[in-house]
Amino acid sequence: MVKVVTDSCSDITPQLAQELGITVVPLYVQFGNETYRDNVDLSTEEFYHKLETSKIHPTTSTVTPADFAKIFTKLAEETKEVLTITLSEKFSATYAAALQGKAIVNKDCRIEVIDSKAGACAQMLLIILAAQMARAGANLEQIADRVMRAIPRVHFRMSFDTLEYLRRGGRIGKAQALLGSLLKVNPIVGIKDGATFPIARPRNRAQAMDFLVNFVKGFGQIEAVAIEDATTPDDLQTLAERLKDVVPPERIHRSKVSPVVGTHVGPHVLAVAVLEAE
Amino acid sequence: MKTDLADGQTLKEMFASGTVWLEKSAPDINAINVFPVPDGDTGTNMVLTMEFALEEAKLNSDNNASSVAKSLAHGALMGARGNSGVILSQFFRGLAKGLEGKAHFDGGDFARALAGASQTAYKGIVNPVEGTILTVLKDASKAAQEAAKNDNTLVSVLEDAVKSAEDSVARTPSLLPVLREAGVVDAGGQGLYVLLDGALQFLKGESHKIQYRRPRLVVAETQLVPRAAQRPTQLEMPHGYCTNFVLEGQNLNLGKIEKDLKKKGQSLIVTGDDTLVRVHIHSFEPGEILGYATKLGKLHEITINNMDDQYAEFIKMQRERMPSVDIAMVTVATGDGFFELLNSLGNIIIVPGGQTMNPSVREILQAVESAPSDNILLLPNNKNIVSAASQVQSLTSKKVKVVPTRNIPQGIAAFLAFGYDMNLEKNAQAMEKAIDKVRAIEVTRAVRGTRLNGLEIRKGQFIAMLNDEDLIARADKIGDVILEALGKAGAEKSGIVTIYYGAEIKGAEAQEIAQEIRDRYHIEVEVVYGGQPHYNYIISLE
Repeated sequence: MVKVVTDSCSDITPQLAQELGITVVPLYVQFGNETYRDNVDLSTEEFYHKLETSKIHPTTSTVTPADFAKIFTKLAEETKEVLTITLSEKFSATYAAALQGKAIVNKDCRIEVIDSKAGACAQMLLIILAAQMARAGANLEQIADRVMRAIPRVHFRMSFDTLEYLRRGGRIGKAQALLGSLLKVNPIVGIKDGATFPIARPRNRAQAMDFLVNFVKGFGQIEAVAIEDATTPDDLQTLAERLKDVVPPERIHRSKVSPVVGTHVGPHVLAVAVLEAE
Repeated sequence: MKTDLADGQTLKEMFASGTVWLEKSAPDINAINVFPVPDGDTGTNMVLTMEFALEEAKLNSDNNASSVAKSLAHGALMGARGNSGVILSQFFRGLAKGLEGKAHFDGGDFARALAGASQTAYKGIVNPVEGTILTVLKDASKAAQEAAKNDNTLVSVLEDAVKSAEDSVARTPSLLPVLREAGVVDAGGQGLYVLLDGALQFLKGESHKIQYRRPRLVVAETQLVPRAAQRPTQLEMPHGYCTNFVLEGQNLNLGKIEKDLKKKGQSLIVTGDDTLVRVHIHSFEPGEILGYATKLGKLHEITINNMDDQYAEFIKMQRERMPSVDIAMVTVATGDGFFELLNSLGNIIIVPGGQTMNPSVREILQAVESAPSDNILLLPNNKNIVSAASQVQSLTSKKVKVVPTRNIPQGIAAFLAFGYDMNLEKNAQAMEKAIDKVRAIEVTRAVRGTRLNGLEIRKGQFIAMLNDEDLIARADKIGDVILEALGKAGAEKSGIVTIYYGAEIKGAEAQEIAQEIRDRYHIEVEVVYGGQPHYNYIISLE
């Protein structure tokens, strides 16, 4: 069976990863000299607590080639085919590290590395797709092909209270057009061609939630939806309720912003990702 | 041809020295890190990667150059952090390949190893981009190979490589636009240059100097574009004639001249002493200004320019200064608060004007022509300006969509509805939809007694208009009229109320009223300075 590998920026919860047999390679969060493995040594809740109470602003670093090599070597003992789907290379060197890791592994095992051109729960949708195909017995080629074709059909929107974290972490890209408004807004940011893109400026959280719901409603056929929050589980619940009539609940996957993603998006974010039907 | 031979220990110490040097430069390198992700960690990542490389080399007791190079490569690979770290690890991989089987190496060997390192680094990157560490490595390796032809000593080869790396770093902004725009050289390239420079200092026996100095950032070869200058989005109103002269007299009173002229025009400047005064003023009646001045003394160097002519020049200049965008927006507004607010919302050109001074078709046309795009969304923000705005469409070759906003709250709601991923037509539609969701209340003082909508109004009372049509409230106290008007406009059903207070209102008063609204209607209220004349308050309900 093909083994599916991803990085922790896919925001996939450890439970779901385990359920679907997905190997998640953690990125790292640093508070000063303390280093934590994303979602391994530090949970989302612990992270946001630290973010609020620590004087040091956290930084993040990518998975190392050695990390990937270690995982690949281990998986090579169980399988002959490994598919790795990483965070967009425009956000992180993780994709490059995976390729590096692949290059140093000398085992009888095919390893494919795909740039998801996405992140967070949008990346997760691709992982789930891959893992489900793997379980159904598809081979590496079939899965990789399907994932490649799905990438342009994944659409992502995230609402923010503030873009300060995105700016500080250097991942704001074109969404900087949304910075500096003298009116209070809850900006919506998307991912386009693997990079951050400005979408809209609702005036408050209620309007932002409406925007996310209407965004999903705007699609004809939907294969799957993923939703996630960082620190507002009640809002996630509301969002899920409101989407029930749009998409069958069994096709709505829930996740939570990981500490590494959280470092760059801050608290209070709410996001949806849609995998449009082919 | 001179040669000297270095061993594994030398190789170790070269890069140990380079790393010390790099570490000192790391904060500077972090600060200029804008590509590919501007997250300010290139310096740190390179140092961390080097530390892993050296650690691994230290554990290797073999004095064989090839073996040490392999350890460096392995360590760098294990510890690679960030894009620059990954490239650095490729560099060492290539270097190790180049030195393979060599217990000792000379300048020529090192030059060939550098060439291999450069090739390996390029191959390792999915989309190699020039103007980065890759280019610097390539240039350094070329220079090293040239140098090795004449003088095979390691120190002379590395010397040329370092010199070339430095020049290459200086050229990075010419190769990579994102660097030019940010006004920096490439961070990774700078890091590689410093690393090699540190290694060179060890070879020259000058390591001790590193202790007391710090590497400098390479200065770009070309003039860098300064960081995004403030856009001049607000068009200056033409003010008739620009009038300049020098006044010669005795016991001239600068303070009094300034005070007298202030009433007669704008942009006044009075400088000089009690015998010679220079005056600059914008006025519709230059004759009046000159008449006043001739009573005080003799006039020299009189120049009077028609500013409508200058205005056209200004427009041209403004257009040249603004970066072009897919869709630009032109609007009409008045009040310094609104100017700032609109500027904060995007590429918006503002034609000053509004209720009491409608801009002409020509003024709006000029703004459209000056806008940094051929696709224009035009928002008049006043029902009396909508028709002038519509005429502009037929007078320009640009594609203009008029979004018929009738007041400033509608205009702002429309701007916020702007979608960055939508075309001109879709945006116009989205904006019109947003307009429908906004109600505007304007509060002012009645200039005369009258009867309107069945309400008796005394002169001096405050009145509130809904959507600039219906008088919905009047009262002696401004807070009362606002609360009543909000009730009639359906405040309790609104999501958010925004209060824009005028030029004559104090912020504290606006905040107090906002609190009363929150208490009474339990809704979100935001207070923003509009600075508008005429209306004490403009309130938007969404």
